[in-house]
Amino acid sequence: MASSHGNSHSEAAKMEQIITEFYAKSLHIILESRTPYMSSRNYSGEQALSSPSSSSSSSSSVRPRDKWFNLALRECPAALENLDLWRQSHLEPMVVDVILVQRPLDCEPVKCSPKRDLVRNLSLKERYPYCWNYEQEEYGCEAKSEKIIERWVVQYDSRKIRDTNSGSRRSSSNTLHSLYKKSMLLLRSLYVTVRLLPAYKVYRNLNSSGQIRSFALTHRVASFAEPFTCREEAAMQRFGFTPVDTACGRLCLSVLYCSSLSDVSSESSTPMSPQLIPDYVGSPLTDPLKRFPSLPVTGSVAHAFPPSSSFSRRHSWSFDHYRASPPSVSFSPSPTYSEPRALISNQSSCFPPTIMPRYPPETSLVYKKDTSFDEYSPAFSPSPSSASPSLPIFIPGSHHSKPLLQSESAPFSERTAKLANSPAFRNKLNMPLRGFESGSSKTDKTRGFMEAGTAVEKFSSLGKDDARQYSEVKISSSSSSRSFPDDFDDSDFPCPFDVDDEDVTDPGSRPESFDKNVPLCEPHAPGGLFPMKKSQDAAVGALVQMFRKAPPLRQDNSNSVKFSQACRPEIWSNSSQEPHQPSKGQASIQRDDSSSVISSGHVTSKTTTVALEELQSYREMKNLLLGQGSKSHM
Amino acid sequence: MNCEVCQLKELEVEHFEIREVLRCILHTIVFHRALGLVRPKDVDLELFEITYVQCGDMELEKKIDEKIEQFISWVEKHPNKKSQIILSFFEVKNKQPSWFTHKTERLQWEQWYINLNVAQHPKAHSGKSHNSKVVVDPGESALEERMARRAVLEASLHEVLFQIIKFVNEKKDHVPPIPNLEGVVWFPHEITIPSSSDSAFGMDMIKRMLQTGHPTMLS
Repeated sequence: MASSHGNSHSEAAKMEQIITEFYAKSLHIILESRTPYMSSRNYSGEQALSSPSSSSSSSSSVRPRDKWFNLALRECPAALENLDLWRQSHLEPMVVDVILVQRPLDCEPVKCSPKRDLVRNLSLKERYPYCWNYEQEEYGCEAKSEKIIERWVVQYDSRKIRDTNSGSRRSSSNTLHSLYKKSMLLLRSLYVTVRLLPAYKVYRNLNSSGQIRSFALTHRVASFAEPFTCREEAAMQRFGFTPVDTACGRLCLSVLYCSSLSDVSSESSTPMSPQLIPDYVGSPLTDPLKRFPSLPVTGSVAHAFPPSSSFSRRHSWSFDHYRASPPSVSFSPSPTYSEPRALISNQSSCFPPTIMPRYPPETSLVYKKDTSFDEYSPAFSPSPSSASPSLPIFIPGSHHSKPLLQSESAPFSERTAKLANSPAFRNKLNMPLRGFESGSSKTDKTRGFMEAGTAVEKFSSLGKDDARQYSEVKISSSSSSRSFPDDFDDSDFPCPFDVDDEDVTDPGSRPESFDKNVPLCEPHAPGGLFPMKKSQDAAVGALVQMFRKAPPLRQDNSNSVKFSQACRPEIWSNSSQEPHQPSKGQASIQRDDSSSVISSGHVTSKTTTVALEELQSYREMKNLLLGQGSKSHM
Repeated sequence: MNCEVCQLKELEVEHFEIREVLRCILHTIVFHRALGLVRPKDVDLELFEITYVQCGDMELEKKIDEKIEQFISWVEKHPNKKSQIILSFFEVKNKQPSWFTHKTERLQWEQWYINLNVAQHPKAHSGKSHNSKVVVDPGESALEERMARRAVLEASLHEVLFQIIKFVNEKKDHVPPIPNLEGVVWFPHEITIPSSSDSAFGMDMIKRMLQTGHPTMLS
């Protein structure tokens, strides 16, 4: 520093040391209250993740570091890490950006870990650009949105030596004391201030109760600031601490902060879900591999998110709310975040609240189906016959996906509900069912499927007219081709498949595609995704049902896609309810609602990841089925 | 000696909020004046979404709580009054002995005036937890009003805390040198509440004015 050359070296050195320590302490104070201590369930500050034990406990012993400015702080590895880098920086300005990362919830902490490591290993400068960009990188996380919610700037403005020489010499020791004292005061007010800014609420939220959040806090320490856009800047407020004058400069500390973070800091934000969904759905074409990393996760949703995590939630009210009036909660087109979460917690299901954006087991299936097929296996390629013109969205081959759909209670249920409501359908549907049932009762999967296929065919022939009639129904409800056993008395509800069949247009294609699909279908068991939650028997029963009813694959693609994109949260909550839903009446009501919601959705494309996930889940189902299905039903 | 005075914005509080509000303000001020080694302790208010900082010293906490209790009981005897709590920091100096004065003298170098306007809500409402309140008055409008008022108070309290921070930032020169003694964490201070008789309180204020040489604002 310039100052070190001027006055007596010791004084200057001391001053510089004070300033350096001031930087360090400031950083420590800031990061200590912005990097959540991690539990494994709550992914937030990347750096903090690695040090779960760190910040929550304060040791009683006084470390040398604590003596600086007489302020003993909790451990904060994130700060220490940056400090080491910073000490070599010779009092460059220090810019600490606190970044709010919002991400779709399917991004697992585990998956993120490589990134974290990378970050750690990078030098400061390298890290900077990296941090900035990482949202676009693969890492298996869906695209995240990052927002700088606070920018702290610690800065030492040194005056030119000649300006200061005269004055500073006379009272350097006084000045030092004064500097030190004022720094202490400044740091104390910093300490209080960081807790009063909106970002602190986010931090507390992240720390509270181990919930899984769709957002996280991370930070970036650099010696320069990436300028904000005008718009960003306009949204921020500035608080400048009064600079501390030193012998040859001034120590400045200021913060730009977002004054409203209400969307995040308050439990849950409605705005978040819509943002996340599009990202989540994504376009496979542009970035087909992007979601691969998430594959393993889907299979083991239950494991990834221990049920316990969902219970700690603060807002117990949602629970009640849910129970009391499920339809209203789950089906509103734009649910708030909290609701889905609440649902989750209530059900004691394994999914974390955050899951919503990620596929709830059931939803995910639907989703996957639609999205995955094309890329995934040629066998599933849409049947040549084109969809009826009136329904451009609809993919003709969609019926193929049906068997896959089976496991998902929600989607079909909606559809079933619709169907059930329409008398014409009912009548027609029943027939195929019969045949279906008999065939499927044997749990011979292949056979069951085959039969199902034939049934479908018949069906479709029967129902062509109706199908047209109900085309709207199909669209809206298509995602839910399968009825859940609970909802409709059972198996008889054969038909959603016929319904959607637009296949009408192309009956011939169906059987063929069907056959191809069979292998895929096998693995598919209803309990696959959440076998743990259901009783074994129930799971097996459900599985059998599904098989019996299995419609041709693919039928619903278009619809389900829409579904997933537009109303994932609803769907999810909807579907997740199913397994636990005792009353059929309620369930059916919900379905209706949801189906109507569905129709409002937009079409989206599938992703490879989704396909893979789906495949995996099918495998699991298959295993389950093989292992247990035969026992209980033979 | 230079005595800086900070008049904090008046807060409209209900009886049951006094405790939290005062704790929050007093601890925040003292924390800023605790230049000895402190291990800060974060405290979340129950009634408001605010986190304040304590020095983490039991003695201090106890002392402040005692004063608050005294104040609350004073408020109960004197309802519907604006009231003031004064937190003063002083240095203790040995004075040249003379026939008139004590050997030591308190030199005040800073005074904080905390102004509260305790609302007249009947005590029935002042259950400690707002849950009970909800039960007490189920009327939705009343509840909403209460929530709105609470929000206003929270914002005001926030403002007061920032007022403290700003004051601390702007006025640093008058703060005495850091006490060197081991174990001395904060500057000597005193919390003054209105005493049981108003006249005595007035006298106290006058004495204070004389002592510091600063006209202080009497409410």
